[in-house]
This record gives sequence, C-alpha cells and structure tokens, in this order.
Amino acid sequence: MTSDVIDIDAQSISLDIKSDIYSSGANGALQRWPKVECTSIPALLKASTVPSWRPGWVRPKTVKLHFPEAVQFLPPQQPAQSGELQKIEMAKPKKKDGEQEPKKATRIKPPNDALSLEDRLFYILQPPLETMLAGQELIMPFEPFPHQYEGIAWMFSQKSALLADEMGLGKTMQTITAVRLLLRSGHIRRILFICPKPLIPNWQREFRTWAEELPFTTIEGDTARRKMIWNMPGVPLLIANYELVSRDLDGVPEEELPKFDLVVLDEAQRIKNRDSKTAEVVRGIPRKRSWALTGTPIENRPEELAALFEYMGVVPPAATPDLKQLSRISSIYVLRRTKDLVMKDMPPRLDRDELLELSPAQKLAYQTAEKDGVIKLNEMGDEISVQHVFELVLRLKQITNFDPFTGESAKLERLIANMEEIAASGGKAILFSQWTKVIDWLAARLTQFNPLVYHGGVPTPKREPILKEFKENPSKHILLMSYGTGAVGLNLQFAGYVFLFDRWWNPAVEDQAINRAHRIGCKSTVIVTRFISKDTIEERIDLVLKQKRQIFEAVLGQGETTSYSRSLTASEIFGLFDLKARSGKGMKKVQPVVPSPDEAAA
Amino acid sequence: MSSTDKAEQVRLGFLAAIETRDRAFVGGLLVTDRFGRPLEFQCTTPVKPNRTQELLYGPTLVPFILGELLGKTLLDRLQVKPHLLFVDRVETLQVRSVATIPVLWALERTSKEATDKPSVDIGLNRCVFADDFESDRDVIKKHAAVFANDANLREPLERVSEALKETMASAGARVA
Repeated sequence: MTSDVIDIDAQSISLDIKSDIYSSGANGALQRWPKVECTSIPALLKASTVPSWRPGWVRPKTVKLHFPEAVQFLPPQQPAQSGELQKIEMAKPKKKDGEQEPKKATRIKPPNDALSLEDRLFYILQPPLETMLAGQELIMPFEPFPHQYEGIAWMFSQKSALLADEMGLGKTMQTITAVRLLLRSGHIRRILFICPKPLIPNWQREFRTWAEELPFTTIEGDTARRKMIWNMPGVPLLIANYELVSRDLDGVPEEELPKFDLVVLDEAQRIKNRDSKTAEVVRGIPRKRSWALTGTPIENRPEELAALFEYMGVVPPAATPDLKQLSRISSIYVLRRTKDLVMKDMPPRLDRDELLELSPAQKLAYQTAEKDGVIKLNEMGDEISVQHVFELVLRLKQITNFDPFTGESAKLERLIANMEEIAASGGKAILFSQWTKVIDWLAARLTQFNPLVYHGGVPTPKREPILKEFKENPSKHILLMSYGTGAVGLNLQFAGYVFLFDRWWNPAVEDQAINRAHRIGCKSTVIVTRFISKDTIEERIDLVLKQKRQIFEAVLGQGETTSYSRSLTASEIFGLFDLKARSGKGMKKVQPVVPSPDEAAA
Repeated sequence: MSSTDKAEQVRLGFLAAIETRDRAFVGGLLVTDRFGRPLEFQCTTPVKPNRTQELLYGPTLVPFILGELLGKTLLDRLQVKPHLLFVDRVETLQVRSVATIPVLWALERTSKEATDKPSVDIGLNRCVFADDFESDRDVIKKHAAVFANDANLREPLERVSEALKETMASAGARVA
C-alpha cells in the first residue's frame, strides 16, 4: 500500500488508512466518512430505573391465648383483729445506695403432663408467686417460706398432686393458698376437701385464717340437709369427712354425683387400701384435678402409694407398679420435703429418752402382772390371739405409768421435777399420753402448774377455748393431750417442751404429736422428752421399732424419718413375750396407724 | 368512677421479641392487670426479612420489623387494650410512631444505657421513652402511680420471651 497526501480545503488527511480486515469481515480500508447529524432532545424530568422495588411486607399472623375470667370474692366484712395477723409484705432489703433489691421470684412451671401449648403458656405467663400473693392482699400469720412458695407454685400447676411434706412444713397453708389462687384465676370454681372428722374444725379455722374471703360449707347434719348441701349451687368450697362422703355418695349413679373441679384428700393414707369402700367412693367422684395430702405417704408398704396414684389418675385402675415405676411416678407427681432439707433456719428439736427405773411398788405390780399374764397366755394354747397379747401389753404399759394401787409413779416424779424448772422460766409444755384416764390422773397431780386437759372426752365446742387459754394465759404451764385428739392438725409452736408420758405404737404418730410444737413459727429449740421405763415392755417395744427404722428409707430417699409407720405386726407383738405367732389371723396388723379420738378416750 | 376504680383498671402491655437462628423475628405481647395477672396474650408467626430488605433497610431493619411490623400488628389485634406498653429493647421503641399509647423501654435502674434519652423511674426500673414524644411523660406519670415501689417491669417481659421460646420450641424452630 502506497502513502500519499491529498489536500482538501487546505485540510490534511492522512491516507495511511489501516486496511486490516476486522474480525467481522469488514475491510477498514473501505470505511467512509462518518455522517454526523445533530438534533436536540428535551431533558427528562425524572430518572427512571428498571427494575423497580417497593417495600411490601406481609403482615404476620397472630395467635391468641385466652385466660379464664378471674373470680371476684367479696372482701371480708371485718378486718382481722388478731394482733398476730398482718398483711403480707414482702421483704424489701435495701442496697447501700438506697435502691431496693428485686424480690425473689418463684415461677410457676408448666406441669410435665401439660401437652397442649395453650396449657403450657398459661402457666409460663403467670406472674411469680410472690407477685401474685402481694396482689391478692393476703392476710397471713407470717410470710411463706421459700419451700412453701415452691410448693404453692407446684400445686398451682398440677392436675394430679401428692403433697407429702413432713409434718410441720405447712401443707395446709400451701394447699389453701394454691386453691385460693386457682379460684381467683378462674381455673377452678368448685372444690371438695375431704379430711378425717376430727380435723374438720381445724380446716375451718385454717380457711378462715388463710383465705378469709373464701366462703366454705361443711357437709353435716341429717341426710336431707347433707343432700341439699351436696347439690347446692354457688358454693365454691365444700368440706366433708371421709365417713360422710362414703355414706352419702356410695351407690349414687354416676350422672347424679356432684361434680368438682378439684378434690383434695387430707390424711390421704385413709385410702391406702384401694379396695375399701371409702377409696372406691372417693375415686368415683367426678373431678378435674386430684390432690392428696399426707405426711406419711408410705405407712407400711411402698405399694400403698399405688392406691394414692390410682386416685390421682396417674396409674390405671388396679395397677401394681413395681418400685422402679413408683419411683418414676413419684418424681413427677409427689412433692416431699423434710424439715432437715428445707428448714435449716428452724430451731432444732432436741430429743432425749429418759430411761426411768420403776418405783418399788410399780416394779412389784409390773412383775406380778407380767408373770401372771404370760402364764395365762401360755395356758390358752392355740386359743391365743394377738388381741390377748395386746391386752397384756396395754396392762403392763399402764403400770409403767403409775401403780394402780399405791399411785406411785417414777414418771410423775421426773415430770414434776422438769415442770418446776419450766414453770420457773415461764415456759410451756405439752404432754401426750395414750389414755385419757392417765391424763385425768395427771391433771389432779399437777395442779401447781395449772394444767389444761385436751382429749377425746372434752366436748368439741370446748376444745378451741382450751387451746386459746393455754396460749394466752401465762399461768397455764402444761397442756395434757391424748395422741388421738391432739396429735394432728394443731398449731402449738409457742410450747417449747413436749413430754411423751407413754409411747404410742407408731413413732410416726409420736412425730405428729411432737410437731404440734416443733413447726414453722416456733422461736426456740423444742425439747422432746420420751419417758421409757427401764426393763419393761416399753423398752422392748422401743427396741423393735428402732430395728425397723431403716426399712423404708430407701423408697423416699435420704432424710426420711417419718414417712413410715413402723407399726408392730402381730408376730412382733407375740415376740415381745417370746411367744410364737399363731397362723391365720395372728398375722393381721393389730394397730391402726392413726389413733381415733374414740380410741384414745376409751 | 372513682380514682381508685380507675387505678384498678390500669392495664399494662409487655412487648418482647426473640430472634430465631435463621434470622426470623417472633413477637409476643402480654396484657396484664396492674398486679401482673395475665389478661391476654398474642404472638406472631415468624417474620424473616429477605436479602433485599436487609440491604435496603440497613440499620433501620430491626426497628422496623419489631416496631412497625410486629408491634403494630399485635397492638391492632389485641382485644384488651393496654394503657402503657413496655418493651424489652431500644429498637422496639419504634412502635411508638404507630401507636397511640406511651411506649417505654424498661431498664435496670443502674443501667448505663440510653442515659441521654428521656426517662422516668417506675418501681425498680428506669423507663426510657421515645425522644419525639416528650408529652408522654405526663401520661406515664399518671399511670405510674399504681405501681409498687418494688415493681419489676422487666419480669413480665421475661415471661413473654419464655413463652415465645416455648412456642417456637413446640414448632420445632431453634431460637438464637
């Protein structure tokens, strides 16, 4: 290719044009002069972009949870007058800078068997118990202890519950408060309390104390009146005893039975025999929640728990769960705390066994009675029954209390010596005996201490005033009680001394008696004195009971001291006199676990 | 109606939200009486922003989701309307822009957060409210009279969080 220059209008254009062939195939040498045209276009007012985006949000869906309507009760007509009662106020410890610490919060947890989310959220969204109680303006003799808050929160959420706290830890208060909160939250509206007959006044009193605005009705009176009460609408709370429940509801067609949101059994070991009429009737009551209270969930055999679980609806009818299954079910449905574990701040209880030599006259009477008695028993041959041996035991035990001919009593002498010290320091003591006769005998000989008598022979209306006088009158230094009437349900924590003048067959009952004084609210150490006559039947019984002590500890764990009865079996009764138990009826247990007032008064 | 009756009827709302592991938000609102007793609870389904939304909303994304999306939806759906609304984080204060009631972020009294924002002390808490709504102060103070000195307003928010976690757990979602 040559290289020339052409002049066009005096403008020089290089003719050195590249003639490479482009990849498109066009020849660069053939390009022509570019033709350029200029036109004007109007400017855009808005810039447009593609693609466009708008923040479109879909509104989320919502899920609603309904809460039952709260139930309002009329406030009590008169404020509590007792100087001891005070409106609950939470402790408000102050920080150094004057700000308050947040109060302790006991949260209500959903129960393990709450399957629906709605049920679980209901409990999760409840305020802490302390807040709930403060909002209820409860009148309480004292602020609940932490273990009681936990117990209330646990019961609140449980449809099936066995509260088996050791005696004195406040099962009554926890139950009433949980019931009260459930009522107020609208979760339950109709409740039936069933308890042993002697405890009816106690529950009435406790309800007036802990839930004074809560109206309750006691099932009592003739058949027509009771029938009317059972079916009376608008009564949130019914209190009945086991006997009347069994009598009134046995045989009633299911559709005619009164229906309840909650049934509470106090001293629930009463239905430990699942085939008993009482147990069957109680299980048949239509209810949504089933609670049971007892300080002795196992009296003799772990299987007794199965009867309570059947009532609670957590095992099938007539089921016989083994120990492993019982233990697993217990971990879900049983709440049990012992004083050792939860009441570290409570004053200790000092137990002392006073081994006493019988007085000479007592010793003579005792030896004669024992010798004659054993001879007589041996002469009976195969006719002998546990009842015969039992009668001899009772007779000997009475002699260890005092000689019926001379009135000599080593126990009385020691008691008077102790009481002189107690009275001099202004203290108060409770004495328990198996026999009302012994109590009356003691009352006549302890006049210098102004004794008060409380046993099955005292008419019910007179009992409360006796307790009141013992509490308020500083000159009354000793209260003489029978195990049957005084062992359960009474709050006597102002007494610092307990005497067990004679021993009951069942240490669990003795513990119940002792716990009248050694319970929440007691200010100082409670000294418990057990009188045991040396070289007598009392010492032998004590030995047998101690040997049985460890049998049930494995079932309910460490710290168990009271959840078993350790009652003597027939063969052990025979063994007290080196007699062999006879077959058949001889193996039957001879002693009820909880003495009835009638028994004690006999 | 007496002033006592009015105090009895003061209702409180507690709005809390949790975030799942896959960056979705779930909101819950609990209405209680002045003692903390629950009256109504509503919770939302999870809301998960997409990538575009994350990029374009930037730092305003979480306040928008918690406040205008979850908070407003819940407030609108409530049948029992609260007089005050407490929230568990500062971002949720945004709900005030679409609500008609004061919104307060409940903090510990000793908290050093948001000390430059307007606040009132209620019970054990310092409650921060939105800058643009200084007029809320009077309304808050009027209702605050019903609270006890030891009232802990963070506690109901913890209940809501726990309920949301329980809800998500039952739905098989994992909470962050």
